[in-house]
Amino acid sequence: MKKDDGEMAEEEKKKPCRFWIWALSSVAFRLILISFAGNLNLSSRPEVSTPLTSIRRLAEGYWLKQASMSPYAGSMYHGSPLLLSLLGPLTVQRIKGQPSHLLCSLVFVVADVLSAMLLRGIGQKLQMAYGLNARLLGLLKTPRDKGILPSGDIAALVYLWNPFTIACCVGLSTSPIENLAVISALYGAVTRKVPLAAFGLVMATHLSLYPATLTIPIIFLLGYGLDAPPLKLFLQTKKVDNEDRSTSKPTTRLPFLWKTVIHFVFWLLLWSLCVLVLCALSLTKYGGLEEMFNRTYGFILSIEDLSPNIGVFWYFFAEVFDFFRSFFLIVFHVNILFMLLPLAIRLKHRPCFLAFIYLAISSILKSYPSVGDSALYLSLWALFVNELVDMKFSFFLFCGYLGISLLSPVMHNLWIWRGTGNANFYFGNAIGYACFQIVFVVESVSAMLNHDRALKKCNSNHGEVKK
Amino acid sequence: MSAEKRDKEEEVKTDDGSPKIKPRPIVQLGIFLISHSPVFSVVFSAAGVLALLLLPLLAKNTYISENALMPGSARSMLSHRDVSDGSKLVKDIKNFRSNHEGQGVEVQRLIGKYMSEMGAEVYYQKFHPEGNQFHPLHFFSGPDSYTLLGNVSCASYGVNVAGIIRAPRGDGKESIVLVTPYDSINGGEYEALSLGIASSLFSLLARVTWLSKDIIWLVADSRYGDYRPVAAWLSEYHTPSFMVSDSLKCDELNTAGSFKRAGTVAAALVLKVDGRSERFEDTLSIYAEASNGQMPNLDLFNVVNYLAVHRQGFYVRVEKVVSLLSSSWLKTVGEIFEAVGKVAHTLNPDWNFGIPAADYLEGSATLASSLYSQALGIPTGPHGAFRDYQVDAITLKVSPRFPADSKARQHDFFQRGAQLLEGTIRSVNNLLEKFHQSFFLYLLTSPSKFVSVGVYMIAFALLVAPLPMVAASLYIDGCNALTKATHNPAKNLKSWKWLDAAKQVFALHLLGFIVTLLPYFICQVPGQHSPTNRSIMWAATSSSLLLLTFVTIPSCSPFSSRLHGTNWAVLKSVTISAAFIGLCLMSIINFATAMIGALLLVPMCLMVRPIKLDLRSKRVKSLVGAFCSTVLVTIGFPVIVFAISKGLIREGGLVGLSLGGEFWTWLESLWAWKSATYLYIGMVHLPCWLLCLCILFHPS
Repeated sequence: MKKDDGEMAEEEKKKPCRFWIWALSSVAFRLILISFAGNLNLSSRPEVSTPLTSIRRLAEGYWLKQASMSPYAGSMYHGSPLLLSLLGPLTVQRIKGQPSHLLCSLVFVVADVLSAMLLRGIGQKLQMAYGLNARLLGLLKTPRDKGILPSGDIAALVYLWNPFTIACCVGLSTSPIENLAVISALYGAVTRKVPLAAFGLVMATHLSLYPATLTIPIIFLLGYGLDAPPLKLFLQTKKVDNEDRSTSKPTTRLPFLWKTVIHFVFWLLLWSLCVLVLCALSLTKYGGLEEMFNRTYGFILSIEDLSPNIGVFWYFFAEVFDFFRSFFLIVFHVNILFMLLPLAIRLKHRPCFLAFIYLAISSILKSYPSVGDSALYLSLWALFVNELVDMKFSFFLFCGYLGISLLSPVMHNLWIWRGTGNANFYFGNAIGYACFQIVFVVESVSAMLNHDRALKKCNSNHGEVKK
Repeated sequence: MSAEKRDKEEEVKTDDGSPKIKPRPIVQLGIFLISHSPVFSVVFSAAGVLALLLLPLLAKNTYISENALMPGSARSMLSHRDVSDGSKLVKDIKNFRSNHEGQGVEVQRLIGKYMSEMGAEVYYQKFHPEGNQFHPLHFFSGPDSYTLLGNVSCASYGVNVAGIIRAPRGDGKESIVLVTPYDSINGGEYEALSLGIASSLFSLLARVTWLSKDIIWLVADSRYGDYRPVAAWLSEYHTPSFMVSDSLKCDELNTAGSFKRAGTVAAALVLKVDGRSERFEDTLSIYAEASNGQMPNLDLFNVVNYLAVHRQGFYVRVEKVVSLLSSSWLKTVGEIFEAVGKVAHTLNPDWNFGIPAADYLEGSATLASSLYSQALGIPTGPHGAFRDYQVDAITLKVSPRFPADSKARQHDFFQRGAQLLEGTIRSVNNLLEKFHQSFFLYLLTSPSKFVSVGVYMIAFALLVAPLPMVAASLYIDGCNALTKATHNPAKNLKSWKWLDAAKQVFALHLLGFIVTLLPYFICQVPGQHSPTNRSIMWAATSSSLLLLTFVTIPSCSPFSSRLHGTNWAVLKSVTISAAFIGLCLMSIINFATAMIGALLLVPMCLMVRPIKLDLRSKRVKSLVGAFCSTVLVTIGFPVIVFAISKGLIREGGLVGLSLGGEFWTWLESLWAWKSATYLYIGMVHLPCWLLCLCILFHPS
């Protein structure tokens, strides 16, 4: 299928317009759903709201605080005190004739739109980098990025139209805000806005602890630059060119920008200090920071709440004997840490992809996962459509995700409402979900590595031809 | 199920597995299955149908799984005095009704008086007989979601009477409910007999010492149907509304604030007496199906069946499809099975699976009825209301063998009925926890035989097993064809070629969803419309929406040019995957619906091919294939399925518009009862049928 340049240009012009139409319609769709929020009753679904992200718990915490009690009293609220001061007043304000929590929902819609825009920004940068690298390697001859998919637009739309994101937004869980923090950290790192990257990372870690793992990819991003094929490839290409000229020495190592990284660490400390001071101020009367760490991070790490969710921990820790509990807690949490280093070594040339993998893994092994986490990593995955075009089992995975997410409410209904099923039904579903996620992560990584290998092959062929 | 699914989906994985590594055995098996998918799909589908036909043979005898129940182990304590109490109540009501015409509340008062004389706490409850309204968002929400307190006129309300006996050995945290629906205005004479039985029992229970669960006797006002009053009482029992209803103000009978409760309901029995028995013995019909194919625990059913057969000598029956009893093909199948069983028995005397053809016929007629009423998803009696609150309940419909006015036999009848209920209540009274030992998911083939979920799932699994296989093999074919067709690397999205087909499948499912919601809006159209008119409205809007979809999204339409259209193999593969997911989901929500749906959908999805291809090739085989797929697609349309099933049940001819009206009424009953079958038809069956139509007329 060949198109003339005029047609292409016209299509290029049309594309942003179409993107905005889709983005706006997703916002409209959210607004329509919000007006039915009472009927949909998404906020009570275990898939959407976890003990950490439920807005009901936040409202309860705010109410306790207004009654001059510790917001953490009674093991109801386990989120950040800052979020309490930001969202808390909105939970009590009601506009007559409107569904309750309307203002909160609007905040979440805004957060979603912001995240999508930041994703678009990240995607555009990555797309440019992809084109540049392809041209450097001599795979792409034309100056225009013909044949490169607009990954930014795709990722933003995947984020906005993902049913998981919509469910989280309408279901009033605070995960849109957590996702916004994570995405802004990545955006800051990609566009080299160091303060923003540090702020996003600090906020994300403060809100849900697990994004702390993103420190590694962000440092790589700031130190080495954007995602690129392995350095060896460039050296090979250079060698081919150099043989003709035989002048400059090939550098075997990529320069690491220590200065930016130190800059980043400085901002990281500064923002952490700010956040801690603010938290301490808001909790002075109620036990201070120690109480906060106990009730937020402690709650996440010790898995106190065993109510069912789509993760796999609740079932296990409901069964395990008390004297083994701490042992298994360590084993389960170390699982995430074990994977950090090998992945970081193998994928250090693709820090954004590394961030996606970290987020996906933490969403599998989280203590209180929700579909909001999947929404985040799925849209980050869409940033790499160019690299992952030949990912295997895409259809199988799609069907799996679809089937599992439809099956989950059915199993829950069977267990809780009908009483004909039991916890195993819902847990079986959770295991299936985890399996699909694992296959998804494994396939993405192997597709990415295959992509690199294919580049190498191409490159060596290319070199031979040149000789 | 899921393990099997994964196993089958394994094939999808193998499609582009790298050739360097030698595939693992399971992958090899997958490749083998895919490459021979036509053979295997025929084998599996046939095996599925065969397994379904075999179910009456595989039925097990029922047994009581919970040891605590100990049915029939205690001697009945029912005395003549108790029975004469019951007879007196029936006589009083009869006299009262002959003297006073149409004085509804007075009869309830009379019953209430009797109850309190026996030492029970009595109260009255008013309810509105408002019909079930269709609201699309209330489908899977909890039972408390429809507390609409509109302006209801004082003229129409019902009054339930309930009496509670507090258990001497209990702590008031558990109870057993006995329901006798009674229409005080136009109830027949037989209906009053159920009050007699219940009051005999109540009189006994008021003085026994072994009770550890409170007993609630609810006389439901069945003026507006059996189900509604029980549902209203249960809703008030479990989810009290604190808004003052209008009806409380408008009558002399002040019921406000008098509602009493007795803890969680362990089990409920609904007793009805109707019509004279056709047989020599008194007949007891047991109805167990609640909404969406849910069944009460098999133990409860067994206790009643055991006591009725072995202690009281009732003839126990469950519903069966009578027309099947005379069907010749089923008889032939039964004879074949009998012969095979005999041969097997001669080969090895331990193989005793053969049953006589007559038993087989009987069993399959009962099984068909069990499947049908579960698939319909409409409760077969007032017991259905209890299932929404996780209470096990069954309806016992007793038909005495004597005419209603025969005094002499009445005493004996009351005694036996009350003894049956006493035994059941005594068994349930022994329970320490809720029913959990026995099955919740089963099909009945006779009152004492059942097929459990583990057995009947096999038939379904075999039937749907070809779907993922064929989907995988078509996916590979389609992708290869697409790779050949496009040379532009930018357009060649290697593993993402299914996206276009998925778009089309999604669009049509969305359409199905909208069509499912349309009746809600059509019901909002002002003015009185006959069902026929409404169905015409529905059909017109749906088809115009379909046309709109085809116009706006050209790739969806079967009439598009070849360039726009997707590859039919990929489209069929995605369609089959969607059907597979839909059927598997439905099999968990309501197995019977999924089973019947699979019988219709699976052959249609497997057979359908673009008719142009077949006509072009002009070979006999492909022409037969084209004919078969056309027939299957024609039969697969929900309205035609409905017409055929109606035609089978009663031989009346239904043509044209009256059919539309009947279909509408049928669907209305489905959504009014919140049957998931309605959702299945609209959101799985209809879109898959449309997609098959698209494939059939594909411009390939």
